[in-house]
Amino acid sequence: MRKMKSQYNFLSKIRTVILVSFLLWINACKIDPIPDPNNPSITSITQNASLGEIQNLVDGTESAMRDNLGNYFDGVCVIGREYYRFSTSDPRFTSDLLGKGNATLDSNTFYTTNPFAARYRAIKNANILIEALTNTKASITDEQRKAGIAYAKTIKAYELLLVFNEQYGNGIRVDVSDPDKLGPFLDKDGSLNAIASLLDEANTDLSGQTTEFPFTSTIYTNDAATFSKFNRAIAARVAVYRSDWNGALTALSNSFFDINGPLNKGSYHIFSTAGGDQLNPMFFPLESNGETRVAQPDFVKDAEAGDTRLSKVVQRSDTAFQDGLSSNYDFYLYTSNTANIPLIRNEELILIYAEANIQLNNLTEGRDALNKIRTAASLPNYSGALTQDALIDEMLKQRRYSLYGEGHRWVDMRRYNRLDQLPIDRPGDDVWVQFPRPTNE
Amino acid sequence: MRKSTVAALHLLWASLLSLCLHAQNSVVTGKITEGANNTPVVGASVVVTGTTVGTTTDNEGKFRITLPTGKNSLTISSAGFKSQTVKATSGQDLNVKLEEDYGKLDEVVITGLASSIKRTNLANSVASVSGRDLNGTTVQSTMDGALYGKFTGANISENSGAPGGGISIKLRGITSLVANSQPLYIVDGVYYDNSAIPAGLNSVSKAAGQGSVANQDNPSNRIADLDPEDIDRIEILKGASAAAIYGSRAAGGVVLITTKRGKAGKPRIEVGQTTGVQWQLKKLGMRSWDEDKVVAAYGASKLPLYQAANGKVYNYEDELYGEKGLMSTTRVSISGGGDKTSYFAGYTRKDDDGIVKGTGYKKNSIRLNLDQKLAKFLDLSINSNYVESQADRGYFNNDNTSTTLGVSFVSTPSWVELHPDANGNYPNNPLAPSNFLQTRDLVTNSEKINRFLLGGTLTLKLYNDSKNDLRIIGRAGLDYYTLNTIAIFPRELQFEKDGNGTNGASIYGTTITRNSNYNAFILHNYTPSDKLNFKTQIGVTQENVDLDNVLSTATQLIGTQTNLNQAGAIQVQENKVKQLDKGFFAQEEVNFNDVLIATIGVRGDKSSRNGDADKLYYYPKASAAVNVNKFDFWKWDNVSQFKLRAAYGESGNFAPFGAIYSPLVPAVFNNSTGSLIGLTRGNQNLKPERQKELEMGVDLGFLKNRVGLEFTYYTKKVEDLLLNVAVPTSSGFSTAWENVAAIKNHGIEIALNAMPISGKDWKWNTRVNFWQNRAVVSELDVPAFNTGAFGATLGTYRIEQGKSPTQLVGIGTADQKPDPNSGLVHFADAEPDFQMSFQNTITWKRFEFAFLMHWKEGGNNINLTTLLSDIFGTSPDYDKKTLDPAGQKTNGDYRLAALGVTAQPWIENAGYFRVREIGLYYSMPKEWFKSIAAVKVGFSAHNLINFFKYSSYDPEVSNFGIDAISSNVEVTPFPSAKSVHFDVTITF
Repeated sequence: MRKMKSQYNFLSKIRTVILVSFLLWINACKIDPIPDPNNPSITSITQNASLGEIQNLVDGTESAMRDNLGNYFDGVCVIGREYYRFSTSDPRFTSDLLGKGNATLDSNTFYTTNPFAARYRAIKNANILIEALTNTKASITDEQRKAGIAYAKTIKAYELLLVFNEQYGNGIRVDVSDPDKLGPFLDKDGSLNAIASLLDEANTDLSGQTTEFPFTSTIYTNDAATFSKFNRAIAARVAVYRSDWNGALTALSNSFFDINGPLNKGSYHIFSTAGGDQLNPMFFPLESNGETRVAQPDFVKDAEAGDTRLSKVVQRSDTAFQDGLSSNYDFYLYTSNTANIPLIRNEELILIYAEANIQLNNLTEGRDALNKIRTAASLPNYSGALTQDALIDEMLKQRRYSLYGEGHRWVDMRRYNRLDQLPIDRPGDDVWVQFPRPTNE
Repeated sequence: MRKSTVAALHLLWASLLSLCLHAQNSVVTGKITEGANNTPVVGASVVVTGTTVGTTTDNEGKFRITLPTGKNSLTISSAGFKSQTVKATSGQDLNVKLEEDYGKLDEVVITGLASSIKRTNLANSVASVSGRDLNGTTVQSTMDGALYGKFTGANISENSGAPGGGISIKLRGITSLVANSQPLYIVDGVYYDNSAIPAGLNSVSKAAGQGSVANQDNPSNRIADLDPEDIDRIEILKGASAAAIYGSRAAGGVVLITTKRGKAGKPRIEVGQTTGVQWQLKKLGMRSWDEDKVVAAYGASKLPLYQAANGKVYNYEDELYGEKGLMSTTRVSISGGGDKTSYFAGYTRKDDDGIVKGTGYKKNSIRLNLDQKLAKFLDLSINSNYVESQADRGYFNNDNTSTTLGVSFVSTPSWVELHPDANGNYPNNPLAPSNFLQTRDLVTNSEKINRFLLGGTLTLKLYNDSKNDLRIIGRAGLDYYTLNTIAIFPRELQFEKDGNGTNGASIYGTTITRNSNYNAFILHNYTPSDKLNFKTQIGVTQENVDLDNVLSTATQLIGTQTNLNQAGAIQVQENKVKQLDKGFFAQEEVNFNDVLIATIGVRGDKSSRNGDADKLYYYPKASAAVNVNKFDFWKWDNVSQFKLRAAYGESGNFAPFGAIYSPLVPAVFNNSTGSLIGLTRGNQNLKPERQKELEMGVDLGFLKNRVGLEFTYYTKKVEDLLLNVAVPTSSGFSTAWENVAAIKNHGIEIALNAMPISGKDWKWNTRVNFWQNRAVVSELDVPAFNTGAFGATLGTYRIEQGKSPTQLVGIGTADQKPDPNSGLVHFADAEPDFQMSFQNTITWKRFEFAFLMHWKEGGNNINLTTLLSDIFGTSPDYDKKTLDPAGQKTNGDYRLAALGVTAQPWIENAGYFRVREIGLYYSMPKEWFKSIAAVKVGFSAHNLINFFKYSSYDPEVSNFGIDAISSNVEVTPFPSAKSVHFDVTITF
């Protein structure tokens, strides 16, 4: 009897010990998350980034700004009737983009979705950079922190502007920092206003600040005050898009605008043949077949004799045909696969200066600015009427030739409600006002 | 405190006492026989009842054992026989005759981490495959390949005929869309890694990228490393109702493998040699040519080439696939043991040549399993296995560069000269980018493995009395391997030189995997009365996964060099997988007099693979079995078993590794590297995929279980299935991982066992299996989408609510009634209508004849070998006119005319009937060898007889390897083989 009892006690003791240790295990057995062993994670980089990691984010952002530029330019330049994009593997460049027959722009096709996604990806990276700069414990001054954030905001504004150029009347989302709570689509004017305020907001931390960024950038410069000149150049472009002519002139005066300066001074995307790096997507060798870009014939036909800007196209030995379209000229704005692609340059700023003055009825000042452009293109001075309307026509023409292939023609004609003046190459073709909003939005 | 000290002393005293008792003994001898002929039973276990003292019978069925004082009975058992307990007294010479256990009802089935149960009390349909079922009929190349048709509920398919494995096993249907769908393998308690790691051939084949991102390198999956000869038995837990105790890794089912162990008794030495030959399973033949056909296929410009051949044609199918591959398997095993120690040591050497020159599989496997009683209350058991193997797998499957052997073979007509000249210089193939003879002779694609598996179990018998048995089991396992993949494409290859490629490529992959697992359980067996028994288990588990894969791709090779340094460009990719899981489980089993057996249990799991690493996910289970025939009212003696059973359980499946992370990926810029947000957004809220399965069944036995019938119905729903779904790109991401879908599977499984003949000379054992599964996508929170193949033009899988997840759809004509929403026609399903298998063993005197037939009815493939052959004009049936209903077009033209119109010509019935295994053996009389050795000789064959309508090499094929969805797609694979073998086994 006693033995039974002791056995019972022994068993119950063991049971208790087991139960207690089991409960202890359940409490003690915590699993810490394992960080991604293959890539840096957003969380760690936004919470306490090193200066090296901040530089990585800047490089990543500036690299991403180049993603899908080919499809972006093909979209806006083909619709703007600057050149044709011939592709044997994809007929949609000549059907959908030009509105052939019943073809329309599709909301779920690469020409709509890819550039849209690529711009927002760069914006997302800039947002991560802002968060990283805000939280970093690396030794940087408060001014540097602010300047770095202002840099990121400027980049965001530029990228949003490219999205806006395609989406136009659909408006764009500006607040996209939280993927779970994306901000609303603003209307057309609201979108442009938001871009303008973003640039202004950034500029307050750039303008007049002698501080260096806590990283190096290839976009313009590495110090806040000089970078402000790039910010203002973009602001000037946005101002003319908003018909804010005085604002454009103010922005220009604080930008790198130089009426007598070199036309190509400005900000550029860079490319290289280094392994893994990107090549200039707008370069195709001369006389290519299959995949090629050829000038819309009116570009040569409408040019004044002796215009040196015609060097942007090169006559082919054979005519390029596709889908009822033909051209004798290759698009040759970029002469190598590592040529830089401009974000904005002085030639555009001079034209903005001319435009704003013409619009403000400073016609002589406007004409003189246009003559700078004409002289540079080896053309005689403007001899037409000194009226606002005539000068606007002349200004748009100079923009067409000066900024050929840089994605402006369609936007300019739309601003002046002149899309119906763009050439129709085949009966039934359409000139689209904007791209549809991507399906997934 | 004091009481427990007393208890410990008590325990110590008890163990000392038992040591002292060894002093006085007495000897019993005997002979164990079976059947009308009184055939000796070799290797039967003889144990003193209630102790661990035991021995095994020798080659004449004889034994000799020493009885401890106070003990007077022996328990005799042997696989396939009912165990018996007999009285024994000192000096006695016993004759014991064993009775065959027809329904295997006494067989103990392993059902979980620490549980096993007699089959008669089992509430689930757990399949058991014995080592004899596995290897007994013919020699097996890999363990997974040996499972075909041997149990119900599995869809097993070989990915290709390439040597060294590559087999997909899906238990009870599709259980995941993008995550792992293969079962979890556990070998003697050690989690066995079954990764399929690509060798990086894609950088040459470019198979992924255009149209399909999936890997098409055709790697073997690593279960191939396990030597089938080492296996004693396999239990297959097919669904969550049986596998819930394995928690978050068990949604694909669990395969529990037990390797051979030594038994007490004289050393038993077994030596075996199997020599065989394999050859192509089905030849397709070649198209015959004339000038008109050449012009039609290749244009007039190629006609001079044909004319220059002057009518000479080559049988390239024979040259490429016509090798007779020699196969050799050598086995040696020694096992035995004494009172306290038993051991099993096994060595296998395999050397198989493939049917393509330069391909083959070599393997050396050494195993040592050791059991040691450290003390009366403490047992240690250790398993160790080292495997070294090399598989040369050739260069096959899909590509986008027309360079694989398969693609360049179908793109080359028979009149093109590809043979090297006297100096060994290969001509360029004038009609395709690759000379496949050159590719075959010069390209290396090799997988080399060094794998070490170590497991140990320590059993502490804490307490034992007439009603209680309490033990603690601790177990640890380590699975460590290094996989080297070597792919060499020398620069003199047609597709590498002269600007056609990268002037050679040398691709080295190194994968180091170190997985470990630790478990501790407490088992309490409580028997308050004769009629009642409780089994309680609780335990904790931990598993670590650590995989590091580095792939270095060197191009612009210098001369004939393959060293990575001797290259102009090198690219390195590294991919790591790290995971930590912890869990616990608790289970209670109640057995009322073997009449009612009920179990409930729960597993809780945490894992770093989940969004919330520290969150416990629970997987419950419950089951009950009622042996109705054991009730008193049961009067029907001829019905010897009538069991009703039902089981419910849940299990989980992890998201693909990395799905919880939102990584920043490298972006090269300005001579530096930037960090850029990845396209896919990780999801910190991801849950594991969850399977809920209900299984019901009835087991019947007739005529003392000489005839047995098992019927099982299951229904399971897999919820929270993961997909990478498109998101608004203004978020900066293009896709995100989300739990968005569910699949329902249901099916039936029927197994009939019978022993129609059991006479003096004749014996016939038969088993018929029937199984079928049906699946439907029951929830889908994203729009329907195509997946798993090459788009709707050629036929594709399509995940669509309310439809089967393995439906095959494609573009079609109006007559084929396309779906008005998608515009696509539903043509067929990849899932078989049903499968059946027939296993038979017939013995007559000393002869044994065994065969396994396997019938898969229906189930379709997308056959793109035919498409490519048509495009290049080389289809063997190109000129026949059997397809066009109008009788106008040739088959080739007819199919090509359908390209872009309908996908129908490439969706083919992949059903088959084949004799998987057949073997005839003769056991030589022992007298011939002075009773020293038992010698068995015989012939066997694998896939010897095949019937199928499928137009390509073999309906069993998968271009995409072991992916969840997308098997059943064929693009110029390594053709399958059949083989015959001569086998000698000598047992001492």
